[in-house]
Amino acid sequence: MELLDKLTILADAAKYDVACTSCGVSRKAVKGQLGNTMNAGICHSFSADGRCITLLKVLYTNMCSYDCTYCINRRSNEVPRTTLTPRELAELVIGFYRRNYIEGLFLSSAVLKSPDYTTERICEALQLLRETYGFRGYIHAKAIPGTSDDLLVRLGVLADRVSLNIELPSEESLRLLAPEKGKESTLGPMAFVRDGIKANFQDKQLSTIKRTRFVPAGQSTQMIVGATPESDYQILKLSASLYKTMELRRVFFSAYIPVNADPLLPAGVETPLLREHRLYQADWLMRFYEFDVNEIIDEGEPFLDPLVDPKCNWALRHIDQFPVELNKAPYEMLLRIPGIGVRGAKRIVQARRHRSVRFEDLSRLKISLKRAKYFITCNGAYAQGVIFDPSSIYNQLAGETKKRRAKGVLDGQLQLLDS
Amino acid sequence: MDNFNSLIADAELGSFSTLMDDADLIYLYDGTLEGMLSSVFAAYGRHEHPKNIVEAHDLQESMLCSYVPIRTELRYAARVQKGIVEQLGDRAYEDVKKVFLSDDTNKGGVIYRFLRYAFKAGRWSMSHISEPPVADFLEIRKQVENEAHYMLMFVRFAHLQNGVFYAHIEPKASVVPLITDHFARRLNVQPFIIYDSVHGLASVFDTERWWLVSSDEINLPAHSCVEDDYQALWQTFYDTIAIEERRNPRCQRNFMPKRFWGNMCEHIPPELRKTKPSTETPTHAARLQAGSQKLLDAPL
Repeated sequence: MELLDKLTILADAAKYDVACTSCGVSRKAVKGQLGNTMNAGICHSFSADGRCITLLKVLYTNMCSYDCTYCINRRSNEVPRTTLTPRELAELVIGFYRRNYIEGLFLSSAVLKSPDYTTERICEALQLLRETYGFRGYIHAKAIPGTSDDLLVRLGVLADRVSLNIELPSEESLRLLAPEKGKESTLGPMAFVRDGIKANFQDKQLSTIKRTRFVPAGQSTQMIVGATPESDYQILKLSASLYKTMELRRVFFSAYIPVNADPLLPAGVETPLLREHRLYQADWLMRFYEFDVNEIIDEGEPFLDPLVDPKCNWALRHIDQFPVELNKAPYEMLLRIPGIGVRGAKRIVQARRHRSVRFEDLSRLKISLKRAKYFITCNGAYAQGVIFDPSSIYNQLAGETKKRRAKGVLDGQLQLLDS
Repeated sequence: MDNFNSLIADAELGSFSTLMDDADLIYLYDGTLEGMLSSVFAAYGRHEHPKNIVEAHDLQESMLCSYVPIRTELRYAARVQKGIVEQLGDRAYEDVKKVFLSDDTNKGGVIYRFLRYAFKAGRWSMSHISEPPVADFLEIRKQVENEAHYMLMFVRFAHLQNGVFYAHIEPKASVVPLITDHFARRLNVQPFIIYDSVHGLASVFDTERWWLVSSDEINLPAHSCVEDDYQALWQTFYDTIAIEERRNPRCQRNFMPKRFWGNMCEHIPPELRKTKPSTETPTHAARLQAGSQKLLDAPL
């Protein structure tokens, strides 16, 4: 088979994987070797669905011995199957990298024969890329649930980020839809990688590799949302505990897209991107805004409000803490104001050190009043035309959302990445 | 430019009154950084507050304004530079240079007003982000930095027959000097040229060092024998990776404005893409079997 055809099959099979980030590790260039990595990562293109392309995202093979219900590559699907050779893969990465198409490689795989057999093939390919081709760019490698410790060590030395997919938000769902992947076969390796990062595991066989930090860009995971009946509450509780106990860098959500017809799956229903978007907003609040998961959602109302974002929602439920005086509030409180992000809060702190902040300064500080105006005062006064009336704020904010949707603006793309 | 020089001659013969209403006063400079800094020097020297400092070339004359052409004097420019470095720090001078790379026709005035403010307010003035002179200055700096970052994202190199990797860009600010270090570090194993045709400026990297070349045109050899194959692979990957059910062109353009598409091979429409008959050149599989050494020696 021509490389072009292989690439078509294996990129097509990888496209439902969400993660495509190249951030989290900064590695300097070395004379005579290709590549480096930037802590912030760099996107290189955006596909027709608006998602960022930063890595060459492919499967090593789509020949799968598993039969997970939701997955396009399940063994009972009749699709063309193929496998890349390590050399083909290395050539693609190097050729694309030299042309500034990508930051590196995201290598995932179907389970060929067994988890260990597949991981060995993946390690072979990555070793060729790192050692023979001297590639110093970014590598994100998927680890397959059930992989043995020795191979995880080798994988973690070769890759910058390792991820194990939790796949579904509960053990019951996993048993139902992905019976070959158990909860323990995912969480076990995940805990092993976590410990490896702390202890900086090394592989003696890979002694020629100069960069030897173990999984320097940390671990991530992803789960499908909407294929099974779990609530946002369950999903967010699970991600909060993964951040805490597994010390993950990221938990990705992927709104369910039906690719297979199966009696166990919801028939022909796509999960709205808005749900995914709200989950990411909640995730952001936990990671960058010092919110605890219990402040964002509770069992009584287990789904996030589609009309108002989780931060506004929190503010409306704690309206006694508002309005916030921009010139006096501590940084942590500024962060809690709807419409003010991490950068905005830092700018306010910087500006008020020089002199007190007035409403007319806010546009120069790049702070939009659209949502914030209901929740702030400057030197004791509200913004012009704003009446602090908690009961009407919800309707006004929800009205904005409806208006935007009527105009055809789609929710759910990660515009948050900007802030 | 002749016209500009004769204006300067007139001005220096004293045909200008310095008692003009500052609100209508506009300085003209020759478009160089030194010219702009000389204008800043002149404003202090002449005890004036020009409303703007613009490039003579960009001038759209208005009856309501008075124009004063300022002669570029390297020693005055150097004194302003020294003043910035000593009073505001090295970083501030780097920022002035960065803002000067902008295509904004008002950048001269913005730099001038920032310097007026900063020389008075002192070393920390860069953090006075709610003051208009500082905010305007930082806004243009951000635009230049954003444009440079877009280039790190969207520059596309093509491999030419002479072994050089070549990228053509059309940025909104003259960012070639800002982006070349990044590529010279990352792609240090390959010679490359980045050519900005809007500002007529190229950077040339020979795998050891890089330098700038001003040029309004560039003659290039054809693509190497592997280039079109790699473009085809990338185009295929690009088209395949999108999820059809999630098509969202608005979001796509938001992150990747259309103005960049012309220099990105994944945006060449399918009917214009080069598809070579596989009989002309060895197939990938054949080349792959040719062994690793050859691949490592030759730029791909």
